Amino acid sequence: MDLSALAQALRRITVELRGAAGVVGSGVVWAPEWIVTNAHVVRHPRVALRLADGRQRDAVVAARDTTADLAALHVPDLDGAPPTMAGVEPLRVGSLIVALGHPFGVSGALTAGVVHAIGPITPNGRPWIQADLRLAPGNSGGPLADSRGHLLGLNTMIAGGLALAIPVSVVHWFMRGVAGHPA
Amino acid sequence: MDKLLALSDELAAAVERAGRAVVAVHGRPRVPSTGVHWHSGLIVTANHTVQAEDDVTVTRPDGVSTPATVVGRDSTLDVAVLRVDAAGIPVADAGDSDAVRVGHMVLAVGAGPRASWGVVSAIDAGPGRIPGTDFFTLDLTLYPGFSGGPLVDARGSVVGLNTSGASRYLQLAIPAKAVSRVVHDVVSHGRIPQGYLGVSTQPVRIPDALRERLGRARRAAVIVVDVEAGSPAAAGLLIGDVILSLEGEPVTDPFDLRALLRSRPIGQRVRASVVRAGQLVDVELTIGERPPRGR
Repeated sequence: MDLSALAQALRRITVELRGAAGVVGSGVVWAPEWIVTNAHVVRHPRVALRLADGRQRDAVVAARDTTADLAALHVPDLDGAPPTMAGVEPLRVGSLIVALGHPFGVSGALTAGVVHAIGPITPNGRPWIQADLRLAPGNSGGPLADSRGHLLGLNTMIAGGLALAIPVSVVHWFMRGVAGHPA
Repeated sequence: MDKLLALSDELAAAVERAGRAVVAVHGRPRVPSTGVHWHSGLIVTANHTVQAEDDVTVTRPDGVSTPATVVGRDSTLDVAVLRVDAAGIPVADAGDSDAVRVGHMVLAVGAGPRASWGVVSAIDAGPGRIPGTDFFTLDLTLYPGFSGGPLVDARGSVVGLNTSGASRYLQLAIPAKAVSRVVHDVVSHGRIPQGYLGVSTQPVRIPDALRERLGRARRAAVIVVDVEAGSPAAAGLLIGDVILSLEGEPVTDPFDLRALLRSRPIGQRVRASVVRAGQLVDVELTIGERPPRGR
């Protein structure tokens, strides 16, 4: 796979979340009818979204955890294949990674970088995938993937120039607890 | 195999390989910097990150802390050399820094290891303008604590030493060849001899009327704002002297002075062209060796 094929594959699983003022963030198609994003991106019970093929949908915020900074969105007629999750092999520092999202409202933008480190950024903090990758507002909730296009995590914040992503295992654990979501 | 996946694996392997010779250096408050085991028992790091002279420690890749002694500083290059008990830490594999070209893909490695990825964006004399030494300007992020860490090529060979302290705006790396020269000085002399006059200078503009009277074209020179007692400069220079040139080479800012000192052997007599009380005078000076800090 080359970078453009990687971008295309990730665009298929990435949605654009829209508010009154335009793009507010990104989301990942997690399972049929289900999208996961950051809690800080969706602050109302419903959110408008645009799928990769341009179709518009309205989603219900089915679960929202501000501590985990994760939210589950339910879209009844959403099909689409869920992403391939990264395997159990440990992520190596220096390996190539890509983020897809809508930074500053730019649709389906790909950013490439490397794994900077893995773990908390403060003592006893939560684990992050720390990426040497340039993110911007609008990337939040979008996918972080490895060079195979396998999902590693959800891009969540920028700290000291580093991109921080919630590991896919944490997202998995959150989605399993969402009522009505097929575990 | 997938090309992208192969590249990804190579970059990760490069970080692992270089990371084995990387230590954390505790020589300043708060954020530790990074150091590289360059020569058996000698760690190099960025000089600006070693603020202390004593009580410097190093954390080895296995997490064990060990005391370090500062054995040499090159403040112009921004390299400090520390002696440590490095048993069990492999020596970094220094690559050919002359082979580095603009556009080459590189990684910066911080203690941890942590990684940053980018390209070499320029190779030039840099802010220090040191004769014979070009710096690598990097298009990558040197995160806090990355100064003193290795710049690594795609093979995992160390081609430079990263520093964000040599320029306020640029992320730079000192080529491995220049670092090895400094380390060689320490190995053969036990220290890094640095040319020294003992003056502090500031850039100054020469008024047009004075330029015309002196028959000088250049507007910029440096003014002496301090002369260290007992230094080579004390034998001839006074506070307020304006230095126009050294051995005929124009001195337009303090960097020029440092660069000129660097290119000449210690002990050499040099002639400084100086404006003193409105008159042009020649002052003979002997380049000395910079004394160690704190003495």
